[in-house]
Amino acid sequence: MSNDPAITSSSRTTRTQQRGPSTAAPALEIDHVTKSYDDDTVITDLSFTVQPGRVTGFLGPNGAGKSTTMKILLDLASADEGSATIGGTRYRDLEDPARTVGVVLEPNAFHPGRSGRNHLRILADGGGFPTERVQEMLTVVGLADAADRRVGAYSMGMRQRLSLAAALLGDPPVLVLDEPGNGLDPQGIRDLRGLLRERAANGDTIFVSSHLLSEVEHLADEVVVLNKGRLVASGSLGELQREETLVRSPSPEGLTKVLQSAGGTVQPLEKDTLLVRGLSIDVIGSRAHQAGIELHELSPHSGSLEDLFMGWTDGTDVDATLDTAKEVQSA
Amino acid sequence: MTSLRLVRAELRKLTTTKMPWAFFAVLATITGITAVAVVLGTDADGSKGFISTAADQKSLMAFAYNGLVIAGLFGAIAVAREYGHDTVVPTFLIEPRRHRAVLAQFAAMIVGGAVIGFVGTALTMVAVAIALTATDYGFLLSVGDAAQLLVASSFASATGALLGAGIGTFVRNTGGAVAALVLVLLIAPPLVVQLVSETISWVPGSLALVASGLADEPGMFAALIAMAAWAAIPAMIGLLAVQRRDVV
Repeated sequence: MSNDPAITSSSRTTRTQQRGPSTAAPALEIDHVTKSYDDDTVITDLSFTVQPGRVTGFLGPNGAGKSTTMKILLDLASADEGSATIGGTRYRDLEDPARTVGVVLEPNAFHPGRSGRNHLRILADGGGFPTERVQEMLTVVGLADAADRRVGAYSMGMRQRLSLAAALLGDPPVLVLDEPGNGLDPQGIRDLRGLLRERAANGDTIFVSSHLLSEVEHLADEVVVLNKGRLVASGSLGELQREETLVRSPSPEGLTKVLQSAGGTVQPLEKDTLLVRGLSIDVIGSRAHQAGIELHELSPHSGSLEDLFMGWTDGTDVDATLDTAKEVQSA
Repeated sequence: MTSLRLVRAELRKLTTTKMPWAFFAVLATITGITAVAVVLGTDADGSKGFISTAADQKSLMAFAYNGLVIAGLFGAIAVAREYGHDTVVPTFLIEPRRHRAVLAQFAAMIVGGAVIGFVGTALTMVAVAIALTATDYGFLLSVGDAAQLLVASSFASATGALLGAGIGTFVRNTGGAVAALVLVLLIAPPLVVQLVSETISWVPGSLALVASGLADEPGMFAALIAMAAWAAIPAMIGLLAVQRRDVV
């Protein structure tokens, strides 16, 4: 796949011009969603909003409920409680869903005996898209030369490119992408990042789940983090990264107890140094003072997304997640 | 307009894999066997009585029940594999009002089934006509009888495809759907007739004979309605089931 052609960013031809920059893409809203399979609750009272004009990364360990949340948003699965809407409307009630939301879901859904071109033609027929759009999208994702080959003979990266072509076919203002970088080579990932950044800059709503923390760190403006079906963090990635405080004290154990009892997450770094999350710098100083604990340093700290992720998820399945990220990075 | 787009997409699904060719091969094989039987086969007394009259030849060329079963397999496999390959997911993303998407799929299956019935009958007629040249008998079927066989087979096969599609939608697994279809069409009817002999006129095989003009009971109109009902019931069950289920 290292010689795969580039995913180009000229994926839109008409909608942006028709819509104009002043018309905002719809926001996605997950409102108190709960979902169980038999006795297993996979999502618990989940609420968050994905804003247009931003790339929102959707993170969580394996089995955190990311894919299920996306499927509920797309009406492929039903919520036991709560609602998921796109611009205030349920997916099934959208006037023209195929022109509103572009979707990549895992696993990719293709008939192995059908060609990539015919897969897109079927979607173009169903969505009422012009047939020229098929060739256009095949070119955009760099599959024009392989378009008439059976999808069963495609590599994983080529399948992923075909999924992207399908998602972009209707030139939708909303993209919901589940692990879109899976199988793409480094150049493909870079091209994808450029494409998504460009669409977000044009006001589109981009919601991307990924295991690749370093990729999300490069791509996302906002993050939503799930762990065991619950929301553990959400907001601007930059702000979240600045929400850590470095504390140095000759009594780290006592300070740890005080800060944990105040609701903070404390990670020991060195002998006398702690990394604190979930408490403001003022509260940390005040609690230490009240407890009579001496401080030698109290300073804001910018953490990497990987550090933050481990803190948010308590290391749940994080080894597998990080392994995946490292494997892809070294590919 | 949306519905027509969806039906067009479903028809393209049917014509962009090798499955139709596999079913064409099945039809060609059955046709070949029929032709060989015409050339080499005899009745118990060594005569060729089974092709000696127009009625005998009509009975030989009646393809409605074969078409119904073959198209049933076609419908069951075509729909169940949509769930197996998850290709139903993009379908439901394009048309999340699932009843519309499934009805479009059923419409395409009806068209596909009718084509199977028509082609199967036409191939059989051509093969028999050619095979008869090797015997002492000519092709005795009237235009009216030929038309009746073509229409009956197309109708029966369309209902068979719908029946199979309904089962495929409900079962969602190719092997399971085929097994269920065999149970519904081939195993259950004779057992039911054994238990309640009055039902013999209402099983698919008997109804196909009536539609082909080869039997009288329960009458043409009733037979067509009954065949449609055989297909409509599993189709309705499939349609209802797909509304409630999570797709993935």
